[in-house]
Amino acid sequence: MVRREFNHQVPIITVRHFTAGYDGHVLLRDLSFDIYPGEVFVILGGSGCGKSTLLKHMIGLYQPLKGSIHIEGKDIVTAQGQQRLGILARIGVMYQQGALFGSMTLLENVRLPLEEYTDLPGEAIDRIALMKLQLVGLGPAAYKLPDEISGGMRKRAAIARAMALDPPILFLDEPSAGLDPITSAELDQLIIGLATHLNITFVVVTHELPSIEAIADRVIMLDKRTQGIIAEGRPQELRDHSKNLWVRQFFNRQVEAVG
Amino acid sequence: MAQGVLEGHPSSDGALILSINGSLDTTSTGQAWRRALQLITEHQPKGLIVDASRLTYCDGAGAALLLELRRRQESRRQPYEIQSLDPAYRALLDLYGRWDAQRPEPLAPADSPVEQIGRATVAVWRDVVVLIAFVGQLSSALASAARRPGLVRWKDALLTAELAGVNALPIIMLLGFLLGLIMAFQSAIPMRQFGADIYVANLIGLSMLRELGPLLTAIILAGRSGSAFAAELGTMKVSEEIDALTTMGLEPVRFLVVPRVIAAVAMTPLLSVFAGLLGLIGGAVVMLSLGFPLVTYIIQVKSAVTVGDLIGGLSKSFVFGIVVAAIGCLRGLQTKSGAGAVGESTTRAVVSGLVLITVVDGIFAVVFYCLGI
Repeated sequence: MVRREFNHQVPIITVRHFTAGYDGHVLLRDLSFDIYPGEVFVILGGSGCGKSTLLKHMIGLYQPLKGSIHIEGKDIVTAQGQQRLGILARIGVMYQQGALFGSMTLLENVRLPLEEYTDLPGEAIDRIALMKLQLVGLGPAAYKLPDEISGGMRKRAAIARAMALDPPILFLDEPSAGLDPITSAELDQLIIGLATHLNITFVVVTHELPSIEAIADRVIMLDKRTQGIIAEGRPQELRDHSKNLWVRQFFNRQVEAVG
Repeated sequence: MAQGVLEGHPSSDGALILSINGSLDTTSTGQAWRRALQLITEHQPKGLIVDASRLTYCDGAGAALLLELRRRQESRRQPYEIQSLDPAYRALLDLYGRWDAQRPEPLAPADSPVEQIGRATVAVWRDVVVLIAFVGQLSSALASAARRPGLVRWKDALLTAELAGVNALPIIMLLGFLLGLIMAFQSAIPMRQFGADIYVANLIGLSMLRELGPLLTAIILAGRSGSAFAAELGTMKVSEEIDALTTMGLEPVRFLVVPRVIAAVAMTPLLSVFAGLLGLIGGAVVMLSLGFPLVTYIIQVKSAVTVGDLIGGLSKSFVFGIVVAAIGCLRGLQTKSGAGAVGESTTRAVVSGLVLITVVDGIFAVVFYCLGI
């Protein structure tokens, strides 16, 4: 696969000395990393190492114990009121189960953020919502309820909703979890397509190695034992040249087992 | 008026030139969209030319506007042109425009009133069928539980008895007391005019033990526990726990419904005794305040109320307990999928519970009348 080159001068997301945990128990300690515009950045690690926790802190759902998370130069940890809403309007999130509103059709789900945040006329909102659904290949299913479609379609619809306001950053929590390999590969293609054509920055949490191989421009690998980042770089480099034997083994063994 | 993102002026050959000055994003496109449609309506142009030389940024919303203008012009078979569009935005337009021709199937139109009445009737009929089937299932499960009590999950039954019975005691006692007090007070005033205020004791005794005590208990049970059963079983249904039980060969009715019904049946008569007793105490407070000695009140109540009245009230409670617990569980098991489903089945549990309580109460009134109780 052809790798794209990025401007590694101005990061779009900056995480510094990030420490998080629950009930006095620290889960992640002193994490620092940068994410650059337009790249697909994957947060990788085994179950229970704090991947989803890190993601939920980055989208402002939880407060970290220490550290800062800057999105486009603004700290989401300390932002309040209008400033916080301003940051939230610049990101879109796809949750693990899609989290579509069950009582609304797919079109209404995508319409919702547009209705709440813009002054667009109704027909414009319809048109934009339909465009987003078509972009993820769900145009014909626009009037279906989330219950009536498959898990993979729900995740794609969730991406369409996350993209409703054209945010430059999309966070995806386990996009390939629970999907068959073909659907998962389709979703990977969609992510690559959106990153390439719309220059969206993706922050993806996953532990599916085939998916990482396909989409990731750069990964960080979290480790439960050290409560921090044990590897950072391109997946191929980590697989072949990581100084950490465990990381190398992890990538190779899994790739061999799957491939 | 401030200069907008989109302004227009007619060209020499009858076309309208829309020039964009600035950014077309989700915040600015709304105004531009309205302005564009307004200009087109005003000028009724033959052709449309969009001058994008000063377009600084364009996202999905901007692309939607440019595509919408194209669609309008195409449907009128009139020329449309976008001039000096940045290649990056051209690519965006191509990306979104790819699907422009295809439209999703719109929803089927809503049913006519006749169809709606028909559907509702069929739904009621189906519900009755399901109810009858459920009564059969539950009866057989209860019968087998009676034959082999070891199969009943007594731990669950005890826990439910505590939640639905013991924990409901304070509210039952409070409401029973207040009901007795209020009823005695309200009836004492008119009855005193006829010198019949001693008969307030008969009124309180009969109504609390025979009718209102059981009814009050059943209504509270429906609101507190019927809804809780529906929500609990409904959540289990949504999270596929009921399916898991079924595939393990554990019948949900035996496993989940029987312990709850047993607990409710054991607790409802007890609670209704408390409701009746506290109602009598409430009545006593009023009678004492009216100057009657306590012993007079007690003798009057004893003369008015027979053991038959008490047993009648208790047997009613017994049936109310079965009905409320069973309908709560049934509505829980009927829960469909989705976030609103549990709320819906909780509502249905309470409503069906109240309707059935009334129906059962009516049947008891007729039966008691025929038996002369």
